[in-house]
Amino acid sequence: MAKIIDIIQRESCFQPGSTLCAGCMESIAFQNIGKITDNGKKTIFGLGTFCGEVSTLQFPNPVAWGRGESTPEDWTKSFGILHHVFESAPTITEAIRDTVDVLSSVGAIKSDIQTISMSGDGGALAIGLRSLLHTINRQARIVSFVLVNEVFANTGFQYSPSASLGSDTSTTPATELHPGNMQPPLDYLGLAVNAGAGLVAQVSPAFPKYFLKVVETALECKGTAVIFIPSPCITGWKFADGETVELARLSCETGFFPCFLKKKGQPAEIKFVERDAAKRPPVEHFMGPQQRFQHLVRKNKETGQFEVRPGKEAVVEEIRTWIQTKLDALYRMA
Amino acid sequence: MNHPPIIETTAGALYPEAIDLDLVRKAHVPFAEESKIIEADGNTAAAYACLQMWRCMLFAGFPITPSTKWLETVAAVIRSGKVGTKKKLKLLEAEHAVADYLAGASAACRDLIFTTATSSVGLDHMTESTRSLGGSGLGNAMLVNVYRATANYPLCIEGDPSDALAHRDDGWIQFCCRGVQQIYDTVIQLPCLGMHPEVMTPTMPGYYGIKDSHRSSRLVLEADADVNTFQDRWIAPAKLPGLINGDTALGNCVTSQYFQGFKVDQRRRILRAFDLLSVIGADFEKTFGRPGLECIEKIRWPENEEAVDLAIVGMGPDMGTAAALADQWETSIHKRIGVLAARLIHPFPSHEYARILKDAKAILVLNQAHHSGPGHLSVDLAEACYDLQDPPKIISAFAGMGGAALTAETWQVMIDYATHAMKVPTRRVSPIVVHEGKIIWQKS
Repeated sequence: MAKIIDIIQRESCFQPGSTLCAGCMESIAFQNIGKITDNGKKTIFGLGTFCGEVSTLQFPNPVAWGRGESTPEDWTKSFGILHHVFESAPTITEAIRDTVDVLSSVGAIKSDIQTISMSGDGGALAIGLRSLLHTINRQARIVSFVLVNEVFANTGFQYSPSASLGSDTSTTPATELHPGNMQPPLDYLGLAVNAGAGLVAQVSPAFPKYFLKVVETALECKGTAVIFIPSPCITGWKFADGETVELARLSCETGFFPCFLKKKGQPAEIKFVERDAAKRPPVEHFMGPQQRFQHLVRKNKETGQFEVRPGKEAVVEEIRTWIQTKLDALYRMA
Repeated sequence: MNHPPIIETTAGALYPEAIDLDLVRKAHVPFAEESKIIEADGNTAAAYACLQMWRCMLFAGFPITPSTKWLETVAAVIRSGKVGTKKKLKLLEAEHAVADYLAGASAACRDLIFTTATSSVGLDHMTESTRSLGGSGLGNAMLVNVYRATANYPLCIEGDPSDALAHRDDGWIQFCCRGVQQIYDTVIQLPCLGMHPEVMTPTMPGYYGIKDSHRSSRLVLEADADVNTFQDRWIAPAKLPGLINGDTALGNCVTSQYFQGFKVDQRRRILRAFDLLSVIGADFEKTFGRPGLECIEKIRWPENEEAVDLAIVGMGPDMGTAAALADQWETSIHKRIGVLAARLIHPFPSHEYARILKDAKAILVLNQAHHSGPGHLSVDLAEACYDLQDPPKIISAFAGMGGAALTAETWQVMIDYATHAMKVPTRRVSPIVVHEGKIIWQKS
């Protein structure tokens, strides 16, 4: 494992020029992944359509990818990136992997190439679940990152199958009759594990050392490594500027997005979150700063603390139950 | 440290030495050491052609009738070890995944050819990706389209070009073939056209399901060395970077301000195919002694290019039947008859049709796919003849939809209808649907 001090001095493949929202977790993730992958191997990314694509690859804006300010002389520093349709990221990346392998098998490429797919949770878990699960099932040697912001952010923050219980989205609006989304989110960690992934993780750059360790481990994985990155979305979740990393940290500690790592055939590792609800920060701490939960949680003007709105106790209790059930399931894999 | 030269292009930097193509070429194990005559059906012929190309290292597929035997043949030959152990077949979970896979692989290495085969709703399922590929500049993707009726109400597995004709806006170069030899020859030639640096457009050879996919006949199987020498004359190392040998980004999105410019460029490239295909076709004919690519096949046409009274235009193997019956029709209706089979169906070679048909009095158009109007080919031919001083009357007939047999009786009904239509003064002629020797529908 490389030292973090060495990694931060590396050349990221994520460059200035993107039009991602200020405060977007995706740009933080890209910056980190960009540096971790500057490891002496050529890197190729395959992207489905998602915020991270349309905001970084839109002509005539600068292509916000590539290492260095000019063309690298060293081919291993060169960078390839392909965008294809929404659901396709794992499949196109698997195809790139296979092409590399078939060329390598005849000696036509001298050194290995790392192949990485990037999707949003809409692309990977809704329209692209087929693609993701079958790529895992075929044990394709790729690392697949899924940026989970719980909504179809590109199209205006509509419900996605990973949307948290109670969240207000533009297609599950909270009204007096409906408390936001009440469809339990897809158990994407369990699906990826059961499909046979070589490595499944959920990890946030809010925990930088762990993030680095997990991504480096994934890059060495012989099968498909799938890393879900919780991505607080400043525009869709509607929180104040500057709270992105704090919310990412709280999303784990409150159990919404537990840090998780499972290598195939080994016990899982759950980090930075207590199994015992009493030892975890209350869910209100995570929900309170976000307007998408404001119909459920409010700030007490006298105490300054977030609290459940009167009459919404049952819904929030359902959220707590969902989190506990999810954590228990993950701990059973530990 | 000395680094090999890097070529800066409009699409990023190209590292020409990153992939050693000579080693790929040398790794090819020939399927046929020398030319031989075999018996094969259309799917087998198309599969063999793909397997013989050194640039085809990686195949992808998902089975759908009637294209399945292409996939089975590729699988069987690769697993037999007859073409060595380096070629790989990827079995995917759906046609959409296959098209995505072609997109990823073709972008990874622009110098290899990536092929698959599909039919009908399989092609429909690929649409999201095939439309993207059409504009991608990745001429090294080739999809063998075995024609079959689209739509499942009612489901029909037999040959009908409604899939191919519905996908012309996908932006691929689409060729229709008739007969096993023409299928084989077309598959060999099309990458030369699609990968040409002025064309860079994916290609889609097609042929009728069942009628040609499953019917066996004599096939001249050329030696791999000759196939590849021919292709090597036309396919040079790509001038633009792929993902492996480049510092590049592909598939970017654009704002509306730039979108149309990209589409104009796409159109400009595909229209270059008109000029280049005949040059490639002539080289093929010179090399192998059989007709090469051409926009339109003159199955029965006066050698001195004299005018005909009635031109019959259609697609696929049934046009051979028309040519065989034309002698007796000429005798009975006392008109000179010509028979043309469409080869290039996208881009549509309007100029070639206008040139050939300028002196014809009427065109009987055989449409074999469901269409909301008078027929795909009828609309295109009307447009092609629009500027002619005395455009021929266009007589549309639908027959053979869903792969229905075109019997001599069915042809006779169409000829009788055309003969009658040529006598009446009105220019607009109602389309008819003919089945088993009877008109079963006519617009009132």
